[in-house]
Amino acid sequence: MNKVIEAKNLTKIYGKKAAAFTALKNINLSIYEGESVAIVGKSGSGKSTLMHILALLDRPTKGEILIDGKNASKLKNKELNKLRNERFGFVFQQFFMNANDTVLENVLLPLKIAKLGRKKRKKEALEALKIVDLESKVKNKATDLSGGQKQRVCIARAIVNQPQVIFADEPTGNLDSATGDKITDLLFDLNKKHGVTLIIVTHDEDLAKLCNRVVRISDGKIISDQTVRKDLKKAASKKRETEAARVKKANERK
Amino acid sequence: MKLFDLIKTANHNLFRSKTRTFLTILAVFIGSFTIILSNAINSGVNDFIDKQVATIGGDSFIEVFPSAMYDQVAGMMGGGNTSKVKEYNENTGGFMGANISNEDLEKMRKVDGVENLEIFHMLSTEYMRLEGADKKYDVSVEYFPEGNFNVDLSAGRMTSNDSGEGEIIINEDWLKPFGLDSAKDALGKTVEVAVKQTAKCYVTPNNCIASAKAKIVGVQAPGVLTMDGDLHINQILDNKLYSLSMENVPESSVQNYIAVGNVDPAKMDKIREEFKKIGYDFITVSDAVSMIRTFFDAILVVFNIFGGIALLAAAIGIINTLFMSVQERTREIGLEKALGMGKGKIFLEFSIEAILLGFWGSALGILISMIIGYSVNAVAHETFLADFPTFELVIFNPLNMTIITLIIMAIAFVAGTLPARKASKKDPINALRYE
Repeated sequence: MNKVIEAKNLTKIYGKKAAAFTALKNINLSIYEGESVAIVGKSGSGKSTLMHILALLDRPTKGEILIDGKNASKLKNKELNKLRNERFGFVFQQFFMNANDTVLENVLLPLKIAKLGRKKRKKEALEALKIVDLESKVKNKATDLSGGQKQRVCIARAIVNQPQVIFADEPTGNLDSATGDKITDLLFDLNKKHGVTLIIVTHDEDLAKLCNRVVRISDGKIISDQTVRKDLKKAASKKRETEAARVKKANERK
Repeated sequence: MKLFDLIKTANHNLFRSKTRTFLTILAVFIGSFTIILSNAINSGVNDFIDKQVATIGGDSFIEVFPSAMYDQVAGMMGGGNTSKVKEYNENTGGFMGANISNEDLEKMRKVDGVENLEIFHMLSTEYMRLEGADKKYDVSVEYFPEGNFNVDLSAGRMTSNDSGEGEIIINEDWLKPFGLDSAKDALGKTVEVAVKQTAKCYVTPNNCIASAKAKIVGVQAPGVLTMDGDLHINQILDNKLYSLSMENVPESSVQNYIAVGNVDPAKMDKIREEFKKIGYDFITVSDAVSMIRTFFDAILVVFNIFGGIALLAAAIGIINTLFMSVQERTREIGLEKALGMGKGKIFLEFSIEAILLGFWGSALGILISMIIGYSVNAVAHETFLADFPTFELVIFNPLNMTIITLIIMAIAFVAGTLPARKASKKDPINALRYE
């Protein structure tokens, strides 16, 4: 399998001298194409810092990041921006949508940044919204949506540029469990059907279990890296069963 | 992002907080309005002066004086140097004694660029009356070479010498005394213009006035700058009146110290040099009205300074507004950066917002000053400017307005660089961190 992202001897130190704080220590990690990786750790463990560096949002103090075997540490900011724009998609816990813009405008932002033409970006944004099943909300303002719908818009935004990797930072952290499950389904569907590599940062063990690889971080070090290779289809269908049961239950209560 | 998308996004962002944006635009508007309206008024006044200058000869018209007299005349017009005490020169004579000799006149006519040059006849006119009428009215008349001379005519035509008869252009003030209803009625009427015969008056003081006939060929529209309110006549009438008044006057007593003519305006400086060598100098109409222009230009400068100060305050308003905007949109900036938007583009996005604030302020300034300017102009023409139909109080010159708008946009851009720089330096990780 191809390595999509490779981290070699990553060290990240914040601050200087006496106030220096080492967030990451000598991290070595390879992410393979098509994987779904959970980066799990407590708050302050360094998991977010690791994600930021893997996603080229931050530069390591020491060590290097290889994207498709190419050293990204030596790239200029402009090239990094382009790489991020073309290869990566982001889903955040807090959504980060432009509240006054329409759903469509929010989704096509990465394509606007990529300088795509008006018609083409609209077409691709509509396709992305179709995948997350929000075609009917195209013209709604982002503020008018529910939390789950917002996160689905964010997923549409993350996939609109057909990325190789999606980084999801606590994607279900702000949602109730039922809505969270839907979002999780959507993300793993993308992983399975479209072969998108998924990197999920979370402290939710249930979410982590769904990934085929779990990397645990504590105090800036990887303490375990397990590839489960579980049958994701089975897991997903099982999840759907429980979901169906939940819906049935809810309907019965009415 | 493409430039067009950036501009659209910036404009969209601008009108997110409408009140704040509107107030900032209002601040820019106060400055732009002041500058645009005062420039329009200045253009109006200058245009009117230009039109008036054209009625008394335009750029090509010159009045030639012997050098001894020039400083005095130029001094009265606001140029030259009147306070200079000069040594008496026997050859040129004193201030009033300086005459233009025929020899010098010929020399000056031959200077390259001089189209025509005639001795100006100072006519001591006594009265004018409609032929056959009893009532006589005070009048003064003048002949200037027609050349490229325009008179703002409300009826009839410019004088010429083609008819072989005396011709005169009256102004509208004469219609009532002559008992005429309209300017058209005056055309073709014959008038008598009378002059005093200086030499004859020494002999028969009670019978020394002679008159010549002239046909009214045109009526001049009202204006402020006519040559001392003198009526324009053709050369035939001028010569007739002059020879009547100078009958029996000895050659040595004839005073010819002004010549008038038309020259090529492009060669003005060369001509002046040549004339100085012969012992003469001249003033142009532009020299004569330069004082009025200087006055209005000074007022314009004062208003532009006011407008400039207002714009300075507005620039600070723009800085303030955009700093607030950067603060509010920290997340958005972080997201855009995470999604691959470069520092330069973020800077540009906010700079364009600043420029747009300047643009809208300026556009509003143009709109409102046009509305107010044209309304006041319309009212003025009904009231205090009723006598000056050709005076446009405001003229909105598209080039001027474009330049003013561009300058205001440039000021706004400079003001915007501070907040735009702050926005471009935002770190996406910090910006997206949720507290």
